[in-house]
Amino acid sequence: MASRLVRLIRPVTQISRSNAINKVARPITALPQLRCQSTEVEKKGGPCMRPPVNPLVKERLSDFGVYVAENLQKFVQKVRIANGDELEILVHPDGIKTTLLFLKSHHTCEFLNIVDIACVDVPTRRYRFELVYNLMSLKHNTRIRVHSYTDELTPVESVIDVFMGADWYEREIYDMFGVLFTGHPDLRRILTDYAFDGHPFRKDFPLSGYTELRYDDEVERIVIEPVELTQEFRKFEYSTPWESFPNFREADVKSEEIPIKQIEKAADEKTDK
Amino acid sequence: MKKDGPLKCKWKVSKFEKKELADIYRRILKTIVKIPPNAPYRQNTEPIIRHRWALVENIADPNKLESAINDGQLEEVISQAKRELELSRKMLEVRAWEPLVESAPTNQWKWPPT
Repeated sequence: MASRLVRLIRPVTQISRSNAINKVARPITALPQLRCQSTEVEKKGGPCMRPPVNPLVKERLSDFGVYVAENLQKFVQKVRIANGDELEILVHPDGIKTTLLFLKSHHTCEFLNIVDIACVDVPTRRYRFELVYNLMSLKHNTRIRVHSYTDELTPVESVIDVFMGADWYEREIYDMFGVLFTGHPDLRRILTDYAFDGHPFRKDFPLSGYTELRYDDEVERIVIEPVELTQEFRKFEYSTPWESFPNFREADVKSEEIPIKQIEKAADEKTDK
Repeated sequence: MKKDGPLKCKWKVSKFEKKELADIYRRILKTIVKIPPNAPYRQNTEPIIRHRWALVENIADPNKLESAINDGQLEEVISQAKRELELSRKMLEVRAWEPLVESAPTNQWKWPPT
């Protein structure tokens, strides 16, 4: 009888105990809840993916691309939209400075900030270096990319008069790729060492470098000697080295280029004239 | 004339903003007139500048002018106009309305490269 009673009572005591614990712990457990509430983000299915591109945004971007192309019809070769909503303007190297000045200074553009200058080396092309200027407009909250090209011997006009911030970016590209910029006040190496030989980001730059530094006991100083390692021929692949989701491996490449019809028309007009 | 609200950081207060603006607009138009009238840059820029110049000429009160232009404070508008002046001179210098200098070699813009 007594054991039966205990059986009945035990759950009750357990409940009361757990309640007591809850009462004490409530203020503590409330904190993570608050934290979740404050930073809760609406979940929109799937992993970290770009949201679908708003067609209106895309239309505006292509309109703006057409506008830039018609204003600078001497230099703009192509306008394209990469990744759905990134406007790219491909210009002749003679027109880099004018294009950037236009994007910075025109009343309807106002891209006042230079975010970065990048370079890509593709040795199989006639002009192996592709220069990429990234601009940003704080006023209109947009970004734009200007592409151009050059080779090892042809110097490109420096954009330092247009954007002061381009100073170190151009030095970096000179250091890494050996692209020459005319009109740059202080074009010297920025990342590599003083006696460095070669331009490390070029595809034909050997992994071991051209020279070797070592301390020589006899001369009691550091000597620079040419490297005597031979290197096998390297074949370059431009697909991403990182593991990507199989479903989207191809999708990225597909969305890379979206040529705009109006631009082709504009190009026809150019040839007519 | 005194204006409402503080200026943005590091902006120099202009005392004769209207005179300055009108002067810059006049100089922009002087450059733009040298560009052929069918050039898209001239067609796009001239109406903007003429419109703003008319506003500057007609509205006396700087605060009203600011709201009429609706592009930030007058000092910002001045710097914007200065930039446009520089651009118009550059456009005239390089003759940007001419046909394309040279089209890119084939496969220059192709990605991934073969």
